[in-house]
Amino acid sequence: MLILAVTVVIQGTLLARFHFYGASPNLLLVVVVCWSLLHTVSEGLVWAFAGGLGVDLIAGLPLGTTPLALMPTCFLAGLGRSSIFTSSVLLPAFLVALATLIFGWINLILLSLRGAPVDWAGSALRVMLPELALNVLLVWVIYPILRWLAAHIGAARMEL
Amino acid sequence: MKRIPSRTSLFFLLAAISLALLILSSSGRLAPVEGNLARLSQPFLTVSNDAGRQITNIVSSARELAGLRSTNKQLQTQVDTLTIDNLGLKEVEAENARLRELLRFAQINPLSDYRGGQVIARVISRGPSNYLSSLTIDLGSEHGIKAGMPVVTERGLVGRVYKVGPTSSIILPLTDPSSGVPAMVKRSSSRAVGVVNGNVGTRPVMEFIAQDADVSLGDEIITSGLGGNFPKGITIGQVLEVNKQDFDMYQEAVIRPTVNFNQLEFVLVITNFQPGELESVG
Repeated sequence: MLILAVTVVIQGTLLARFHFYGASPNLLLVVVVCWSLLHTVSEGLVWAFAGGLGVDLIAGLPLGTTPLALMPTCFLAGLGRSSIFTSSVLLPAFLVALATLIFGWINLILLSLRGAPVDWAGSALRVMLPELALNVLLVWVIYPILRWLAAHIGAARMEL
Repeated sequence: MKRIPSRTSLFFLLAAISLALLILSSSGRLAPVEGNLARLSQPFLTVSNDAGRQITNIVSSARELAGLRSTNKQLQTQVDTLTIDNLGLKEVEAENARLRELLRFAQINPLSDYRGGQVIARVISRGPSNYLSSLTIDLGSEHGIKAGMPVVTERGLVGRVYKVGPTSSIILPLTDPSSGVPAMVKRSSSRAVGVVNGNVGTRPVMEFIAQDADVSLGDEIITSGLGGNFPKGITIGQVLEVNKQDFDMYQEAVIRPTVNFNQLEFVLVITNFQPGELESVG
């Protein structure tokens, strides 16, 4: 939970200062997907829920907005857990790329349901693609750290 | 009977809780809880934000250093030492300059009462969410801040106070998709009215401008005061592009805000303006 708290604070303060073509990296999404891959999807869901609530609190969003968008991305990790490529960074990078798109589309759907105007194609080009690039780069830093932490905290349990 | 995986059950449980929280939070019923949680997190956000500011200054200084190094190799060691010493001085100097500008703005606009506030967590534009914008400032109900109060800098309109906690408040900036600011063209020969709406990942757009209204590139856009949510006459931005189609009922103008939301550190909250009802944006 300490990892989660630090992630949320960094996401809300430090990372908000760095922009690449109009987007900043989504550290929480990267951490949640990577942790789901390293441990269990259930743990990832709990992290997505708790971390998402933290982000909503900092951002002043209605509580529940970010968890609803983030939790579905945890199931992507379930697709990769039985893969032989889990020791490589390429698999989590690929999953994070997919997760970024899913997270983005869900966010836009929630925005649309709240009555805000949404430019679907424009948002995909202007926000999702730059964010995808940044998140994939972040995986190269975050995944080895989380893999080390996961090995020292405890082995991943088999999930039925 | 096929057993439902536990993670699926967990997902639906957490999703149901999230949905319930979303409904309660949007209706304002969780405001006391959110306020107290925000008070608890404020010290951590302040420390982290200060660290982020130092990192930004280091990066800027590194770029300047690279320029000096290419033209003055012999003084490289001395420049390195002086740059580190200057980091602290530049921070104080920049802060003073920003505060002087804010004070000058308040002095030349004496009809409004202002309360200065420091942005403590730049949850802005694309972060922590790239789809929604918000700012947090270190003023709350204990400092007389109320929901709906307009927020400005010496450069123009930032947005308005959206949620108020005991010691911090969330601002909804005009760049957020949920934000809508009644506006008008400042030019006396036009005075066209419309609504400036935020957009995901791009500049705000002034919409619902009458087809026969006169809007030109470079026109300054100010708040119109219509609707009673913002005082009249606050600068919003400048027209970058006008979109006018004969078959549309209205024309649109893309606006470049005068406020640089990526470098916002200090803001002013107008405390003696009584706004209209703040609609829930959730």
